Amino acid sequence: MRWQRGKNEICLYRSIMACLLCYAMSVAFARAAPSAVVAERYRTLLDTHCKKCHGAESQEGKFRLDTLAFNILDNQTAAGWQKVLNVLNSGDMPPADEMPLEKNAKADLLENLSQVMVTARRLLSDQHGRITMRRLSRREYKNTIRHLLGVELDVSELPSDTGTGKFDTVGANLFMSGDQFEQYQALGRHAVEQAFDRYRDRSRIWKKRIEAEAGMLERIRNSLAIRMEDHRRYKTWTHAIDQAATRSENREVVAQIWQEVEGKQPRERFYHAWRRIQGAPDPREYDFVDADHATHVGVGTYRAVAYQTWYMVQPENTNGALLSIGDNGVNPWFTFDAGNHFPAGEYTMRIRVAATEKASPERKFLEFGLRTGGPFTHLSTHEVTGTMASPEVVEVPFTLRRNGDRTFFVREKGTFDTGQQSARRHNAGRKINGLGPEFALWVDWAEIERKPAAEQRKAPAIDLLGTALMGETSDSVDLLREGLERFANASFRGATAPPSYLEKLITIYDLRQEAGDSHPEALKETLSVILASPRFLYLTEPTANESQRRPLSARELAIRLAYFLWGTPPDEELLQLAVTDQLMQPGVLPKQINRLLDDPRAMDFVTPFVHQWLDVDRLDFFRFNGERYPRFDESTKRAARQEVYETMAHLVRSHGSLGNLLKADYVVVNSLLANYYGIDAVTGDEFRRVSVPADSPRGGLLGMAAILAMGSNGEQTSPVERGAWVLRKLLNDPPPPAPANVPQLTRFEDQLITTRVRLLVHQEEPQCASCHRKIDPIGIGLENFDAVGQWRSEEHYEKPGLGRKTWTIDVASKLHTGLAFANYFELREIVASQTDAFARGFSAALIEYALGRPCGFSDEPLIDTMLQQARERDLAVREFIHALVQSPTFQSK
Amino acid sequence: MKSASSRRRFLQSSKALVALPFLESLGFRRFASAATPSPPQRLVFLAMGYGVTEDAWFPDVKQTGADYELPPGLMPLARHKADFTVVQGARHHFTSEGHWGSTYWLTGASRYGDGGSSFHNSISADQVAAAHVGQQTRFASLQLNGSEKTIAEAGHGPGLSLAWDVRGKPMGGLDSPLATYHRLFSRENVSLDERQAMLTQKRSVMDAVLEDARDLKRGLGRTDKNKLEEYFQGIRDIETRLSKDELWQDKPKPEAPLLQPPEAGLKGLEEIKLMYDLMLAALKTDSTRVITYRQPIADLLTSLGIKVAAHDMSHYTPGIRREASLRRDEANSDLLAGLIDRLKTTREADGSRLFDHTAVVFGSNLRTVHNVDDCPTILTGGGAGMQLGKNLVLRQGTPLCNIWLTLLRGIGAPVKRHGDSTGVISELLG
Repeated sequence: MRWQRGKNEICLYRSIMACLLCYAMSVAFARAAPSAVVAERYRTLLDTHCKKCHGAESQEGKFRLDTLAFNILDNQTAAGWQKVLNVLNSGDMPPADEMPLEKNAKADLLENLSQVMVTARRLLSDQHGRITMRRLSRREYKNTIRHLLGVELDVSELPSDTGTGKFDTVGANLFMSGDQFEQYQALGRHAVEQAFDRYRDRSRIWKKRIEAEAGMLERIRNSLAIRMEDHRRYKTWTHAIDQAATRSENREVVAQIWQEVEGKQPRERFYHAWRRIQGAPDPREYDFVDADHATHVGVGTYRAVAYQTWYMVQPENTNGALLSIGDNGVNPWFTFDAGNHFPAGEYTMRIRVAATEKASPERKFLEFGLRTGGPFTHLSTHEVTGTMASPEVVEVPFTLRRNGDRTFFVREKGTFDTGQQSARRHNAGRKINGLGPEFALWVDWAEIERKPAAEQRKAPAIDLLGTALMGETSDSVDLLREGLERFANASFRGATAPPSYLEKLITIYDLRQEAGDSHPEALKETLSVILASPRFLYLTEPTANESQRRPLSARELAIRLAYFLWGTPPDEELLQLAVTDQLMQPGVLPKQINRLLDDPRAMDFVTPFVHQWLDVDRLDFFRFNGERYPRFDESTKRAARQEVYETMAHLVRSHGSLGNLLKADYVVVNSLLANYYGIDAVTGDEFRRVSVPADSPRGGLLGMAAILAMGSNGEQTSPVERGAWVLRKLLNDPPPPAPANVPQLTRFEDQLITTRVRLLVHQEEPQCASCHRKIDPIGIGLENFDAVGQWRSEEHYEKPGLGRKTWTIDVASKLHTGLAFANYFELREIVASQTDAFARGFSAALIEYALGRPCGFSDEPLIDTMLQQARERDLAVREFIHALVQSPTFQSK
Repeated sequence: MKSASSRRRFLQSSKALVALPFLESLGFRRFASAATPSPPQRLVFLAMGYGVTEDAWFPDVKQTGADYELPPGLMPLARHKADFTVVQGARHHFTSEGHWGSTYWLTGASRYGDGGSSFHNSISADQVAAAHVGQQTRFASLQLNGSEKTIAEAGHGPGLSLAWDVRGKPMGGLDSPLATYHRLFSRENVSLDERQAMLTQKRSVMDAVLEDARDLKRGLGRTDKNKLEEYFQGIRDIETRLSKDELWQDKPKPEAPLLQPPEAGLKGLEEIKLMYDLMLAALKTDSTRVITYRQPIADLLTSLGIKVAAHDMSHYTPGIRREASLRRDEANSDLLAGLIDRLKTTREADGSRLFDHTAVVFGSNLRTVHNVDDCPTILTGGGAGMQLGKNLVLRQGTPLCNIWLTLLRGIGAPVKRHGDSTGVISELLG
């Protein structure tokens, strides 16, 4: 068939679409309709145990089991069975004075019932392809503002739109309220203000350099002098007390005091008792506030003197600054104050820096971030490859906001997350030099420079207003109307703003001017209203008759596609293809999909999608014990999290197979993470593919530090969390949600036993066994990874009063399917053989994320299609995306 | 003015809970002569997200009635023992979300209550109360929050505050003492004319966005219309507020009881104390009669010098986590005791105690760890006529909504049922 340009072709396309839709629907109906039916074989069991009290005669708790349908077709029936499930799980039923259910029978019933409930929930929430109009999520709102105005907004005050266990694109869960409307208006106003500022300052050059040694030596020298003087006075005072103590009339009391102060710091505490010693002078005579103050400055802060003195004699300190750690009177970080006059925009910070010969590989990293009133905001981590002989210049891009903090810091990695970290470095240093931390990093200078105008972010919506409106005054209503119209149409992603709406906007502008606003002020207020209007805030695909699917218009498709793969509105190229009817021509759409995926903005799809799909937010649920796991500092955790996203990004970019997430002979890491994994010869902050040997546990999600750390509570591993995660995410066999109100099992609390034995307790209670027999063996199989994903062969358990037990980890186990494995590697093979199950789960997640609605049973044919198409290309991740976007489901409302 | 009339039509056509004619019938005069003969009844809900340390917080279930021993977690409340009741055994039957301490606390809804979605909620008890007692005050209800946003931090679960409106949509709240202070007491230093002009400007904004919304609505199907209805409802809420502002505009906001606006960025213990002060001030000045407060937990721990994350604490394994959990209980009880002190010493216009006309609920949907049964609940204050001074142990599984129903009726709201309630709790009634 020959394709022609123009309207005919669209009609043709539509008729094809309609056929495809009918076909897809008929396939959906032809399949055996899934159902949620409680297995008939439990009827006798339920009758025997429950009917007496919950039957026709006695309806205790107003609950009847005999009338509850086994086939769950509505919410009411589902609620009834949920109740049954709850009371069985909590052990409330049968009551203590009734005959209990036999253990195995109960476990089987619970397993069946909880699985049926999962099916029922999915059935009852099936949208049958309907996509509800939705508000932009917080993330999309931020991206959209950036896209239109070039402004990076702080949107933290908006609701996060996550937390219901669904993707943040699922429209039914994205709400709106009056307060939120006002927040949008205020944020919009802020964004417009910032965009106007950037427009005004667009061609100015801003640069500032600070030498690290500036003022530094003087500051330390002064502090040193004060400490020496304090100490000298302290010595004089205590010497006078010593003198008085030798007097005979004091002999008795002195002996008594010495007895009293036995223990910690006896000398200091002895001087604190100066009042009782006749002739001993008052510390105030020596310019101390009291004895506490005297000890504090005379002994406490004096301790830093040796370290400070040591710093003063370092030859490197005259033309730069060595960085130290913690509160020891020497610079624990280098700070850079950008000053309030620097305009908002994109900047580069350059730091000339070197690692000293004292720096071990682990210490050759610097952290960059913002100093704030509260805890510092860590922005990024960078490897330092420069040496003292040949320092390097590290370049860090950053955005300066209109309001907010403007002082930046540079410090050594992993030294300030917790107090334990600096203590650890102090102790390590003292062992070597007797004084304090060894100096690992040296900073020569740092500078910031605003990027040239050509590299600043574009603000297409501002450009559309036209230069005339961007002036200080304007008196043409027509010009205003046209400008507002262009701004509104761009904000509405190409939809046309109704004229009546534009008139109302002009009314707002006029009212502001009447109230005394200047032209720019009145204009900014008016523009901010556009950014709080429904056509901006909602992704709309109008359709009058919801019972019928209709194909999306080309513009709607472009929008859906761009929000899917970039989290932003379509760019000029995509939108132009849409409005000129070219997007539907053969080959154009696939080309666009590839273009979008090849663009760096695809990270705005990969990161949020993977983050939500794999529940990576669990990484923040617990704080990691810094004493036990000193290497898993914030920078490392950040890199570990990034590895998950970067691995997916690598697959998308390189047409890689989804199967590589289950097992791969490579990892995608940067130097920091390579160092953590013990992989040599990786330099630089960017993530890249690095091969690992065949016997490496790394390669694939199961070997990733972030994934393993998510399966811990920050102290110990949690085999249950890990096992459940693998079932949920990799094997597409999710265990039912953990029931609430299950009694805690405490029987083993006071025993020194291995993790493996501890888990056996789950087999004792039927309500636990039903799920844990599937979960626990997988978790045990991953026990060779500690709580922060490092390989180990030994594990120990320690409990005060009980002692300590150490054992060699043995992970050999058998899955509930019967497959046995001897070690982690065999378990990984078993999991890696399940690519089909994995791909189905991945497809369902992709559908839900892309379409903004739950993936239901009616989507099974679509999943089949995606799988089929992907299989032809070795399950390339990119093929799933192509298949989804090209499906009638994606292309229709 | 044309825009005003269309706005009025919009309000009248809506099924808004508070429609304009109703406001008008109550009349401006009534607001002006606000001196009420007897003090009104108020309702306050305080939610603590992650629950309590089970074995150190609940009194012994065998010691029921007035003669019971206070467990360590409630010790700071000892001086008020005759003036609060601990209720044990109540729960929501539909709730099974182990991290969501506040989402369903006041609603009792089922997450799956609406077949077509994965998340559903219904009106919260405070909003039921506000519908009945909120018309006569400047603010129908007040929603306060800690500034924590994530579940991991606070254990409150989805929602924008404790309050859910009549459609089961989340209602926003004020996230800091400073914002609360400004909402309650800050006086715009502008003339009546200027204020009128500001109202007109705000309305012009509403008019514009509604124009776009109406135009958009024309092409939409049923479900999409329902979604857009949330937007309309949001604008309607602002309209209602503006109308109230208009009615109140020549009546200045009450004198602030604090000398100056609270410091920005205050977190944890001091933040909660200040919020309590502001709540008292709001009640005393009759600015509102219904308040909810979703209290911070992570910030509370930090302010106590505890370096354990909130979620870690909720799994109080022996050691620092358990210590943190115990100290959290104590701090919460201590704060509550302080609030009761202040409720007792604050006097109404007629000289009676604010305490006697305010019902306060302190609790959470989460008992402990991830358990959602036997919800920790403390009732205090004489506002709803509850029997105080008892350890009340209900039959396990009594609907928590029965307590809410009892309270709602207690403050005079003619409510038949709430959530999954099955009736009032007679043991609470005097």
